[in-house]
Amino acid sequence: MDSILIAMILALLIPIYEAWQDDNIWQKMLAFASIATKTSIMMLVISVLRDDWSIGVVAVIILSVGEAGLMLLAHLIKQCRLG
Amino acid sequence: MIDILSYGLMVIGIIFWFWGTFPLIGNRSVLFKLHSLSVADTLGSMAIVVGLLLKIPSEWPLLLLAIITLAIWNTVLGYVLAYCSSSGGKND
Amino acid sequence: MIDNYVYVIVALLPLAALMLVFQVNPYNALVIRAILGAVSALVYAILGAADVALTEALVGTMLAVTLYVVAVRSSLVMRLGILKEFKIEKESYFEELIANLRKVINKYHLRLEIVEYSNSKALEQALMAKEVHATCIKQEQEQVDTQNQNSTTGIDIRQTYHTTIRVRRLFEIMKTELTFPETTLDYVTVSNEEDKH
Repeated sequence: MDSILIAMILALLIPIYEAWQDDNIWQKMLAFASIATKTSIMMLVISVLRDDWSIGVVAVIILSVGEAGLMLLAHLIKQCRLG
Repeated sequence: MIDILSYGLMVIGIIFWFWGTFPLIGNRSVLFKLHSLSVADTLGSMAIVVGLLLKIPSEWPLLLLAIITLAIWNTVLGYVLAYCSSSGGKND
Repeated sequence: MIDNYVYVIVALLPLAALMLVFQVNPYNALVIRAILGAVSALVYAILGAADVALTEALVGTMLAVTLYVVAVRSSLVMRLGILKEFKIEKESYFEELIANLRKVINKYHLRLEIVEYSNSKALEQALMAKEVHATCIKQEQEQVDTQNQNSTTGIDIRQTYHTTIRVRRLFEIMKTELTFPETTLDYVTVSNEEDKH
C-alpha cells in the first residue's frame, strides 16, 4: 500500500513540474486540474487506508469543490484575456 | 482473490495516471493535453476508487459519491476548459 | 504511526511555496497559489486535520483565488480615453499605436482598456475626474483635409497623435520604452481637489 502511495506522489510531481516550467496560463490551469484531482484521490486512498471516515468525507467534498473552483477560475481568466 | 483484484485495479489506475500525465510535459497544444488528461486521468482515478471499493466495502456511499463526482465533474470540466482556452487563447 | 510517505508529501508543500514566491506574472502566480492550496489541503488531511483541510480548500483555493483574480483584473489596467469618431476612422497608424502601447504595457503585466467619449470636452473631463489614466487625441495642427493633401503634395503626411498621461510612473515607462514616433507624450498633474466636485 505504501508503494502505491509513493507511485501516486511521483505522478503528482509531473504536473507540478509542468506548472513550474510552462509560462502559458492555460497549461498551468491544466496542471492545476490534474493536481486537484490527484490530491483528492490520494486523500481518499489515505482515508480508506486508515479507515478514517472524516478524511474520506472531506476528500469527496474537496474533489467536487476543487473542480467547481477550477471552472470559476477558468471563466474569470478567460474574461481577463479577452478584455 | 478480492485483494489481488483491488490491488490490480489500483496499479492499473496509477498506470493510467502516468499515461495521461506524461503528455503534459512537452510543447503540444492545450487541447491535445486536455484530451489525454481528461480521458486517462478520469479512468485512472475511477479505477483506483473501484479498487478501494473492493478493498473496503464498508465505506461504499463515500466511494460511490466519489465515482459519480469524478464521472460528471471531470467531463464538464474538460468541456469548460476547452471552451475557455480556445475562445480566449489568442496567444497559444 | 508516522509513515514514510508522510514525509514525502509534506516536502511537496515548501516546493509549491517556492514556486509561488518566484513567479512574477500575477495571473500565473494565482494559478500556482491554487496549486499550493490543493497541496496544503492534502498535507493537512494526511496529518489528520480534516476540518483545516476543508477550510483550506474552500477559502484558500476557491474564495481567495477568485477574489484576487477579480482584484488583479480591475487594478492592473491602463484605461485610455479616445474620441468616438477616432475609432470609426480605422486608421492604420492608430491601430499601430494601440499595438505598440499593448506591447509596452504587457511587459508590466498590465491590460489596455479603451474607453470612448463622444467629444473632446468629455474626454478632458474624464481625465481630470480620474476616470481614465491617459487620453489619446489627434494633434490639431496636423489635421489637414485629405483632398488638400492629395492636390498639394501628393505624399500623405503622417498624422501625429498626442497622448496625455496623468500617472507619473506610467509616463516614465512610456517615455523610456515607447518607440513610436507618431505620438507625442505629455504628463499632466491632476490635483486631488478636482475630483471632489
